[in-house]
Amino acid sequence: MSRHIMVNRSLEVGALDTQPRVEGASATVGTSGRIVAIAHHLPKQVLSNDALAAIYPGWPTDKILDKTGIETRHIAGPDETAVDLAEAAARALFAQGRVGPDDIDYLLFCTQTPDHVLPTSACILQQRLGLRTDIGALDFNLGCSGFVYGLSLAQALIASGQARRVLLLTADTYSKLIHPMDRGVRSLFGDGAAATLIEATETATPALGPFVFGTDGAGAGNLIVPAGGFRQPRTEATGVAHEDASGNLRSAEHLFMNGAAIMTFTLGAVPAAVDQLLTRAGAALEDFDAVVLHQASAFILDRLRAKLAIPEDRFVVALRDRGNTVSSTIPMALEPLVRDGRARRVLLVGFGVGYSWAAAQALLGEP
Amino acid sequence: MQNLYAGLAEIFEIDASEVGPDTVLANHNWDSLAIVSTIALVDEICGELLDGAALNACVTASDIVALIPQAKAA
Repeated sequence: MSRHIMVNRSLEVGALDTQPRVEGASATVGTSGRIVAIAHHLPKQVLSNDALAAIYPGWPTDKILDKTGIETRHIAGPDETAVDLAEAAARALFAQGRVGPDDIDYLLFCTQTPDHVLPTSACILQQRLGLRTDIGALDFNLGCSGFVYGLSLAQALIASGQARRVLLLTADTYSKLIHPMDRGVRSLFGDGAAATLIEATETATPALGPFVFGTDGAGAGNLIVPAGGFRQPRTEATGVAHEDASGNLRSAEHLFMNGAAIMTFTLGAVPAAVDQLLTRAGAALEDFDAVVLHQASAFILDRLRAKLAIPEDRFVVALRDRGNTVSSTIPMALEPLVRDGRARRVLLVGFGVGYSWAAAQALLGEP
Repeated sequence: MQNLYAGLAEIFEIDASEVGPDTVLANHNWDSLAIVSTIALVDEICGELLDGAALNACVTASDIVALIPQAKAA
């Protein structure tokens, strides 16, 4: 069985009928979540292609831009964490004036670079943001698929009546996991955070969903920080850097990405997820006003756009000035589409570390 | 396979006439980035997703061509 077919089969298993569906929706009004506001925050320090080109021989400025589509990435300071970035993104969202800290009744925080093993970073954020103490708050550990999973959790909380306003925060500082001499990943990833407000709305057509999920742990080793958890605790040996065949340096405590395996996974899983979502939504790609994929790299986005035959004017690319900010790329790319308030039907796909992927339909704009 | 050779020439940043079945990959920039690009190239031309490790083991351009029917049969 080919890898492609395995991915498809996994998708089938992950797409059980547990999500709200648009197709066949009756006129019955129900409660659904809706994305009503997004804000983001990037740390001040900027890493330019010129700076990278000065470090890596044979990796000139124009080639970096050509291969990645990225001009600059923002890098967190030594004492700046994902919690700090998420707090700033949430404050930027509150500054928009739609809601304040007292209005939030559930906090979801997606990160892979938490402040501590414990306590839960979302609890720290509840206190720092001045959110009420009678709310739910939890972390979930996902990478580039995390935003879409966060939307599904928010939708489930709202549709089941457990929450009315969910604050979904996504933030990561992958720069702290990357060896300075690993040009492959250092050229791609930037630090950043996004804050997304999902509000309850009474509607005959859910504003979030259907969803499609996918998980394949067989790819766990292809995007990994091997040491530093409890399976492989840090030792003197895990801190020793080694050079790979392409001349990149990293230790077992650094981020490793098997770019070839990730490319094969992505080109198989993402089109299959889109196909399945279209089936579940009873829609064609032409029915969507915008397609927002995880902003992995311009090269991957270009290949996926071509493979899916998505017109350029409906395909959002937003990574040139920030790079791949992991679970924050989709909300950052969506932010301008939410801010202008226009009614739009958008298709979202997150994919990456795990392997984990998810696709969703979202209806933007006030009903 | 002319499309594939032309695509490889683009990846190697050389003239298309310089790439054929006997082209030795190691004589060009056959690095991780080139392998990623080749996966995308073969998917675009043939609709087949090649395994990165198998690509990494290729010596000549014809070795890449030989992987395509294997991927189809798998």
